Amino acid sequence: MRRPVPGALGLIVAAGLTLIPSAAPASGHLLPVLRHRLPNGLTLLVRENPAAPVVAVSLQVRMGGRWERPEDAGISNLLQHVLVKGTARRSARAIAEAAEEIGGSVSASGDTDYSELRGTALARHWKALLDLMADVALRPSLPAEEIEKERRVILSQVRNRGDLPFPLTFDTLLASLYGPHPYGRPALGRRQTVERLDRARLLDHYRRHYRAGRIVLAVSGQVSGPAVVKEVERLFADLPAASEAKASAPPAPAAASARRVLERPAAQAQILMGYLAPSLAGGDYPAVKVLTTLLGGGMAGRLFVELRDRQGLAYSLGALYPSRTETSFLVIHMGTAPENLIRAEEGLRREVARIREERVMPEEVERAKAYLLGNLAMDRRTNARQAWYLAFFELAGVGHEFLDRYAAAVEAVTAEDIRRVAGRYLADPTVAVLKPIPK
Amino acid sequence: MCASSRPLAALLLLLTGCGATASMPTPGSPSLDRPARLVLDNGMRVIIQEHRASDVVALHLWVGVGGRDERPAELGFSHLVEHMLFKGTETRGPGFVDREVEAVGGRTNAGTSLDYTFYYILLPARRALRAIEVMGDVAFNSAFDPKELERERRVVFEEVRLGEDNPRSSLFRQLYSHVFPGHPYGRPVLGDEAALKAATREMLRGYYRRHYAPENMVLVVIGAVNPTEVSAVVERTFARVPAAGYRRQPLPPPPSLPGVRRHVVSRNEKQAHLALGWSAPPLDHPDVFAVDLLASILGGSRSSRLNQALRERDRLVSSVRASYGALQGGGLVSVSAQLEPGDLGKVEAAVLAEVRRIQTEGVTEVERRRAVTAAESEHAFAIETAEGLAYAYGLAETVWRLDEELRYLERLRSVTREQIHEAARRYLPVDRYAVLAFTPPGGAR
Repeated sequence: MRRPVPGALGLIVAAGLTLIPSAAPASGHLLPVLRHRLPNGLTLLVRENPAAPVVAVSLQVRMGGRWERPEDAGISNLLQHVLVKGTARRSARAIAEAAEEIGGSVSASGDTDYSELRGTALARHWKALLDLMADVALRPSLPAEEIEKERRVILSQVRNRGDLPFPLTFDTLLASLYGPHPYGRPALGRRQTVERLDRARLLDHYRRHYRAGRIVLAVSGQVSGPAVVKEVERLFADLPAASEAKASAPPAPAAASARRVLERPAAQAQILMGYLAPSLAGGDYPAVKVLTTLLGGGMAGRLFVELRDRQGLAYSLGALYPSRTETSFLVIHMGTAPENLIRAEEGLRREVARIREERVMPEEVERAKAYLLGNLAMDRRTNARQAWYLAFFELAGVGHEFLDRYAAAVEAVTAEDIRRVAGRYLADPTVAVLKPIPK
Repeated sequence: MCASSRPLAALLLLLTGCGATASMPTPGSPSLDRPARLVLDNGMRVIIQEHRASDVVALHLWVGVGGRDERPAELGFSHLVEHMLFKGTETRGPGFVDREVEAVGGRTNAGTSLDYTFYYILLPARRALRAIEVMGDVAFNSAFDPKELERERRVVFEEVRLGEDNPRSSLFRQLYSHVFPGHPYGRPVLGDEAALKAATREMLRGYYRRHYAPENMVLVVIGAVNPTEVSAVVERTFARVPAAGYRRQPLPPPPSLPGVRRHVVSRNEKQAHLALGWSAPPLDHPDVFAVDLLASILGGSRSSRLNQALRERDRLVSSVRASYGALQGGGLVSVSAQLEPGDLGKVEAAVLAEVRRIQTEGVTEVERRRAVTAAESEHAFAIETAEGLAYAYGLAETVWRLDEELRYLERLRSVTREQIHEAARRYLPVDRYAVLAFTPPGGAR
């Protein structure tokens, strides 16, 4: 039952979700969205969706890896996890029971460009759901024992990540692709930083970020827009308005264009090639989305057809291009048998050269667009996902209606656009390789 | 996906080959548009509903054939046929459906159970009409290419191995064989290795021809579609196939357990698994609603009695769950738990103690209300999506009645505490049930 909701944990997951899978003739059938700004600056979005008697809420905060300093890395994610473990009025258990009583759930996590508090309920309990979420967002008690529990959970996730070949290589690649920029750090944080985070720092982090001007609240489901506005105005009126003075801009990404090789005991070799790529607001975003799909989108993608079907080189492969507020990245990756490592890397480089230099057939572009837009339609089937999309784009500064523009822009991408963006962005790869060694 | 206390949902425990179906609904909110139900001249039933919550369409084909319809020499045929159906038709090559659906970001899969087999395609709505044509071709003109058959036979053996590796699914499959000994419901849906090895193309094709008759099928189309256009395509595809005069073999009544039947299996897992099973009412029985709530109160959630007593209070199990699986001709209430091998006896006794307590004391109003809310929530989130609705409608039309499905929640809400209490006394006899334990080597006492 529980829908996979964007987890902040694990960059792979994070990348997966922020990867806007892509648009259908986008919201052709979807109802319009009510947008309302509270006096304190909180932005509220409501989509009335009568299809089923449920409601989903996504509260997103401009807080996450992008604003963290190296010594605090992972603090947003830990804070989010502790948030749902106690308020001035409710214990962790009382929060879980309150959610059960209304036929729903409440959870939270931190990501790179945002942190999310999400909840669902039967539609007739929408007020109780908003009340519960407001309690968690406005009056968290950050109980010391819950901080320790969540810290242990996250530390074990960090440890696991270091043991898993793909995530480990991926984290290594991002570090050398971004240099000092915070996108180069895992949103989970590192062991040394997570171990040192204490209640005082979490509280300070909370106070600096949970400000109305940094928050978008999106509601989707069988609800009345005006009634939701009234209730949210009442529940969230106490949220402090003032946004902190803007933090200084993070250092620019500095791609090393290097090749880093990790040696670890593993069954499979991993090869990842990364490039800096346009941000969500960048004009080339739709074309690079199509380019990524053309390379790595499913069984008809070039990497699959060429390297797996024809040459039998890969166990797993794909291309990632997450939607990011600042300069994003495009990664193509492959897992293969250790003895194929050199041929596999040559294969990846050859595919990149081919798309940069040779003409792409219009039919191939059309196929990629259909796949991209079809996947987006698939991903927007539930209220939880719809609420997530609304809040995510609003918070990112491109507006909640971004997907409509995006779908049209994807439809307009031509073979010539593909050649142009491939030439521009796939120039100088940064590479990370995991080379298996005997245990 | 097994974590459901609701009877229709629990049916899925026996499913094979189905990778998806994240949602298992039982719809029926009065605020929803009702589906249109058509019966074609050839006896095939078609259910259509416009559902504009997203831009997708869910297309389901349900066939009234499953493990229970197989003769001894055909054990596993329903499932193998299911695998062969997306492997090419007389005019379309192997893998055609997968490729065509995947290319537009869609998904397709299938599942086989004791009472039914179903196929689905989920894809952007503007491809709906074409997908119906493809589904029609698959339903009646599958090729059963000999090379593909060899490959799929191996895939199925692999699936059998995987299923056996997974203790939970293995536990449930075996529990059915102990609660329904000698009955078609006691057979493994995945079949019998000898029968599968001996299956020739002609035998399988004969099985397919016999059971894939229009009067044994339901087509469900839910999504952002125009019902008139959908009917028109159905007219020129499915409706063209003549009726075959198919009648499904009736089921014998399920056996009743004469006492406590205990079975221990030694397996290579560190933890032990325990399952208790009781014979329960079939789908078409007035008590299904009470039994459903009973299973939920006993062990369907965090706050359920078994979870509170065995897990939270006594720390005897790492997980415990009760569920009710209702089939067309019988049913099963099960309690399953994961535990330390040394605690098997203690846990069985503790489960029985909770059963006795519910039989003596009945249930509280808070418990009844919470169970109804849980069922309602599960239902509501399932029908959020087109595929959730399609699943519910297809299942109901195949093994129950669409109408019952639409009234399910209403019926559930009307169940009284007394009825739940009575169901506990009637259906959970503490001296007639089957017990199955998986223990590590040397772990059985």
